[in-house]
Amino acid sequence: MMWYNIFKFEINYRIKRADTYVFFIFLLLFSMVGVDFVFQGMELGEIKRNSPLVVAKTMGAITGIFMILVSMIMGVSVLRDFEYQIESLMYVNPIKKKDYLLGRFLGSFAVLLFVFSGVFFGMALGEFMPWHDPENYMNFDLFTYLHAFMTITLPILFFGACLFFVSGALSKKLMVVYTQGVVFFVMFMLTKSISNEFIQAILDPFSLTTLSFATKSWSVVEKNAQLIPFWSVLLCNKLFWSTLGVVILAYGYKKFNLNVMKNKRFKGKKRQVIDSHTEDTNGISIPETQIQQGLQSQWAQLKQFSWFYFISICKQSSFWAIVICGMVIILINSISLGTVYGVDSYPATYFIVEELQEMSIYFFIIIVLFYSGELIWKERSAKLNLIYDATSMSSFVNLLGKYFGLILICIVLMLALILSGVVFQTLNGYYEYEFQVYFYGFFLEILPFLALYSFVAFFVQSLVNNKFIGIMVVLAFFIATIALGLFGFEHPLYFFGGNSLGTYSDMNGYGHFLKPYLFFKTYWFLFGMLLLILSSLFLARGTETSFLKRFKASRNRMSKPLLKFTSFIIISFMGIGSFIFYNTNVLNDYWTTADATEFRVGYERTLKKFEYLPQPKIATVNLNVELYLSERSYTAEGYYILKNTNDIAISKIHIQKLIEGDVTLDYITIEGETTIDTQYSKYDYTIHELKDPLQPGDTIKMSFKQTFVTRGFKASESNPNVVANGTFFNNEDFPTLGYNKKYELRDNDERAEHQLPKRADKASRDDVHELLNARSGGDSDGIDFEIVIGTEIDQTAIAPGKLLKQWEENNRRYFHYKMNQKMINFHTIVSARYEVKKDIWMSKSGMAEQPVHLEIHYHEGHHYNLDRMMDAMKASFDYYSSNFSPYQYEQMRIVEFPRYEVFAQSFPGTVPFSEAIGFVLDINEEEDVDMAFYVTAHELAHQWFGMQIEAANVKGRYLILETLSQYAALMVLKKNYPEDKIQQFLEIQQKEYVEGKQREAGQEPSLALVENQEYIYYAKGAINMYALQNAIGEDKVNLALKQFINDWNSLDGPLKASTKRYPTSKDLIGYFRDVAPDDLQCLITELFESTTEIKID
Amino acid sequence: MELIIDNLSKTYSNGVKALQDVSLEIPTGMFGLLGPNGAGKSTLMRTIATLQEADKGTISLDGIDALKQKNEVRQILGYLPQQFGLYPRMSAEVLLNHFAVLKGISNKKERKELVKALLYKTNLYEVRKQNLSGYSGGMKQRFGIAQALLNNPKLLIVDEPTAGLDPLERNRFYNVLSELGENTIVILSTHIVEDVKELCTNMAIINQGQVLLKGNPREIIDGLEGKVYQKTIAKLELENYKSNYQVISERLFHGKPIIHILSDTNPGNGFSPIDADLEDVYFSQIFGIAANPKSIV
Repeated sequence: MMWYNIFKFEINYRIKRADTYVFFIFLLLFSMVGVDFVFQGMELGEIKRNSPLVVAKTMGAITGIFMILVSMIMGVSVLRDFEYQIESLMYVNPIKKKDYLLGRFLGSFAVLLFVFSGVFFGMALGEFMPWHDPENYMNFDLFTYLHAFMTITLPILFFGACLFFVSGALSKKLMVVYTQGVVFFVMFMLTKSISNEFIQAILDPFSLTTLSFATKSWSVVEKNAQLIPFWSVLLCNKLFWSTLGVVILAYGYKKFNLNVMKNKRFKGKKRQVIDSHTEDTNGISIPETQIQQGLQSQWAQLKQFSWFYFISICKQSSFWAIVICGMVIILINSISLGTVYGVDSYPATYFIVEELQEMSIYFFIIIVLFYSGELIWKERSAKLNLIYDATSMSSFVNLLGKYFGLILICIVLMLALILSGVVFQTLNGYYEYEFQVYFYGFFLEILPFLALYSFVAFFVQSLVNNKFIGIMVVLAFFIATIALGLFGFEHPLYFFGGNSLGTYSDMNGYGHFLKPYLFFKTYWFLFGMLLLILSSLFLARGTETSFLKRFKASRNRMSKPLLKFTSFIIISFMGIGSFIFYNTNVLNDYWTTADATEFRVGYERTLKKFEYLPQPKIATVNLNVELYLSERSYTAEGYYILKNTNDIAISKIHIQKLIEGDVTLDYITIEGETTIDTQYSKYDYTIHELKDPLQPGDTIKMSFKQTFVTRGFKASESNPNVVANGTFFNNEDFPTLGYNKKYELRDNDERAEHQLPKRADKASRDDVHELLNARSGGDSDGIDFEIVIGTEIDQTAIAPGKLLKQWEENNRRYFHYKMNQKMINFHTIVSARYEVKKDIWMSKSGMAEQPVHLEIHYHEGHHYNLDRMMDAMKASFDYYSSNFSPYQYEQMRIVEFPRYEVFAQSFPGTVPFSEAIGFVLDINEEEDVDMAFYVTAHELAHQWFGMQIEAANVKGRYLILETLSQYAALMVLKKNYPEDKIQQFLEIQQKEYVEGKQREAGQEPSLALVENQEYIYYAKGAINMYALQNAIGEDKVNLALKQFINDWNSLDGPLKASTKRYPTSKDLIGYFRDVAPDDLQCLITELFESTTEIKID
Repeated sequence: MELIIDNLSKTYSNGVKALQDVSLEIPTGMFGLLGPNGAGKSTLMRTIATLQEADKGTISLDGIDALKQKNEVRQILGYLPQQFGLYPRMSAEVLLNHFAVLKGISNKKERKELVKALLYKTNLYEVRKQNLSGYSGGMKQRFGIAQALLNNPKLLIVDEPTAGLDPLERNRFYNVLSELGENTIVILSTHIVEDVKELCTNMAIINQGQVLLKGNPREIIDGLEGKVYQKTIAKLELENYKSNYQVISERLFHGKPIIHILSDTNPGNGFSPIDADLEDVYFSQIFGIAANPKSIV
């Protein structure tokens, strides 16, 4: 029973080692928050957090994330004998290969099971943690956890154990043990790119996609009640991986040879150097040299160390394995970039950079984690430490050299990734490489992050003085910082590392995000330097390793130059810290998330009573806006004419200023004599009491001046609207009337915590107040609009209306716009350096022809899809004006804005279009639906559905606004593209609908009662409208819509005028019923008033 | 220049008393520290070499407090540990140059010359480009002394440098050591009596953390002159002799034990007087404390 002895030996050895328990406790603690971590940010809806499916997926994910532990436990088991160079002692003993390998494998595997039982216990315990909401849980059932552990975790562990045991034993290299986790990760990522769901389900080693696939057809109830289906594709998956494990084990057994191994090692690695003959060396004198201890020599040492340690890692093949894995995974993963509606974007550099960043961070973290340990232990592993320690080198300089060596290593990986990005671009025929974007993306965004965590890693390694435990502590620190961020420790002065850099945009670069970012990073870099100094004082030097001894000795280790340097760092650290504090908390108000929530709760509690208080409506808007965008400031001065459309006189006008510290109202005056009630000024809410109340039908002028001033920088930069190039904001930033629902707390769980009632996204269809309201905070039934905008000399400012005049003055450019007819109270102010493409479309109403000026204002270089957009504008105008009603304005402007937001939005005669969609899509005529065309058509449809006809702010509002726009755009698409493109488009919608439905937390509503569910009003809406026109005919549908617009349009619709309310989905469906034959009435019910899913054929 | 060790004590956390009130004055020249394995030699050497803390006592080197002003000591220290490794995939020249930088030799040209000279001196010049992984034990030790000499040390500590070397390699090593100037304090620890006899001007014998004897090897040997006797005996008689005489050493010659005993008068009984050797001194000292000399031989 030789193997049993070896087995026992292995277990006894591990039992005595601290890392066994460290691993176990680490997994136990992590698993307690496992579900929260794995499903963070995902809507589980009605699926309970201890349902078998959730438990199984979490176990799979945790086991996957910590494959590296499997590697550390299994990989070292044979390797250890080589590490301690006792292999020759071991192997000369009469041990049979079978006994040796079997004993070692089973022993390590037993320990592995013990360590990973932490996942089982941790998750089961996690259910009882006090921070969980019991509503999200079912009754506790230990068997759920046991079942998941046995069916999911155990097979993964077995496969991992086989693979890592064999690779560790055959390679005999510790770094292989580290890196095979990465390789495994790459394999996992590879399975993600397989499009065949079944094969993907088989090949996913952690069974996540397998579980999704196996339970695809399950309802929520089934997902909660049933155990995961082991007798399914899951079994195939497990059989596949277990068999592969056995095969690997058999291969390893065959290859491993106790004797050959031993010989090979000596033959292969140690080429004996032949000693030279003894010569008389007496005559050789050793030259006098100057030994320097000053700064100059330390500088030389620093350079030497940095390079030396850098090269030492470069010599390791494992590092190059990581580099190659990184490059490969990017090439595979970048296949779909910046995908919008199933269409890929051009491989613009920032897309590539973002993809690279996202994918490579795992590699970088591994490099920092493990190579920091390797470097700290380098001398000790080579048993050279006593020689180093007895020299006069400064520990700090040595440590700093290691630090820079590690940073250089990261830089090599970055350069490799950049290279792979350039290769990818070239392969795709894209040659605008924009190296500065690559440079910023890596050296500005990733490198500081790595530099800061490297400090922590070195500090921990120095303090803990045990490589493996050190790695685990750094990992724990890493996770803890993320957790702290989630718990609201978010101020960059105490949230480690500060915030990440804002989004890069072609239009605005890094904009105003860069400056605060650099300050935060410098601040933390100085902090990191202090950590490194501390590390150099505590780092073991000599043979004393106990922490207490090192602590005592540290007092004598601070040299005078180091003391000076430390003081300098501390002073700079405090100086920059104060400067940051001055900017974030003195110049600007600092709000934690909790503060903001409190404020919202207070706002609602105090002011909700005013929500439906009769207020006048805005009838005229006249503004003079001066944009000073290089300073990120503006002033807006002008007036509203307010009209009392109620039946009663109004004596109190409630005015809400935008709640933002940067914005001040310099003055606000209302004609006549008024007194101002400031009791709600905490909420920037003032009540102006008129001495002479405003009689029904009367108007009054309200003048104001609003100033937006950027002062210094904020803790978290929130306002991406007023920027140096690509400013885009709307009238919601200007004063509004009465209570603003948008400041209410939205999340119903948070509302419950603060004893606020549940909040519906939309009111019911018979809500008397909201039927009179076209949009939240609309404040108007239509306005006359006129604006003068002054902007920077090189920019174009755009607002709705006809451009009356354009001039230059005081080295600024001015634009005067005026709308030719009444429009909804929803206008934009946009300004950027634009190129412009112009065209004209002739509007025919009756006999008269009138030109409509078409303009696309775009960022230089974003010219790919301008023709598609222009064609879409013309095609849309043709279709809508002939089928629905004439186009109401004299111009249509598409304007590009930075990709801080990803949407296109329709304003009267104006469509701001995000940089991220449309402009840079790489549309392939063969494969893709022309989404630039489609989105343009959709937004133009809103000039009818949204501008001509508005919908009451109740359930079903988006059926009128969005679904009808989807329909209209789809018809334009149908007219201009072949049938198969329509089918392709509908399939995309079908997919989005199914995905949206799975995320739905509540009950799926019908289209008639839809609230804010995009998957219904966009995706399902398109499908159902298409089905409707298939059934009753396109012309019948258009006839209904024409009549609907005619009766209900905001300007002169007779029904709108007589009811004084806005239309609802009920009204719209009535028009459909009117045009549909009797036998298809039930189809309309099915399409709009039920939740039946319509399949596309 | 003198190194003064005063009342140095060290107890390890496992209770082993490695040093007990050790006091030594070490002048320039070669100083031999003789003692069996585990006597506390390495602990003492490491403490002098600033690598270990002492519980009690002081070490001073020309006014420098070696226990506190470690960096001052390190600037004039050369140290060759008892066991050390080398980066395998690196050549002697590169590694020696690396050490030269970290010892503060910043001038590139000077450094190059120095590295070259030391490689010649230690007879490694011809193999300077080869990877260190292929070096034999002797070559490794010579490399070790080369690095220790880089900063022209005033205090050179070599801990058991000849352990595991064959006689030829040992000689080569001593050739390098013996050339060092008389201005340097060289402390050599060993459990081989020959080493001390051949090289050292001063010595101390240490066992179980205590200094048993210190002085000039010649004078120490003189102290035993006329007191050492030798006899070849039968194996079976060994125990008998051990109980009746003060046996200080036994070794086999043609399969039969030869014993040395210590006696103030001629014991007769077939014993013949011999010239006292340092080895006899060593064993007599060790024997005086340790009851079982076998563990030494």
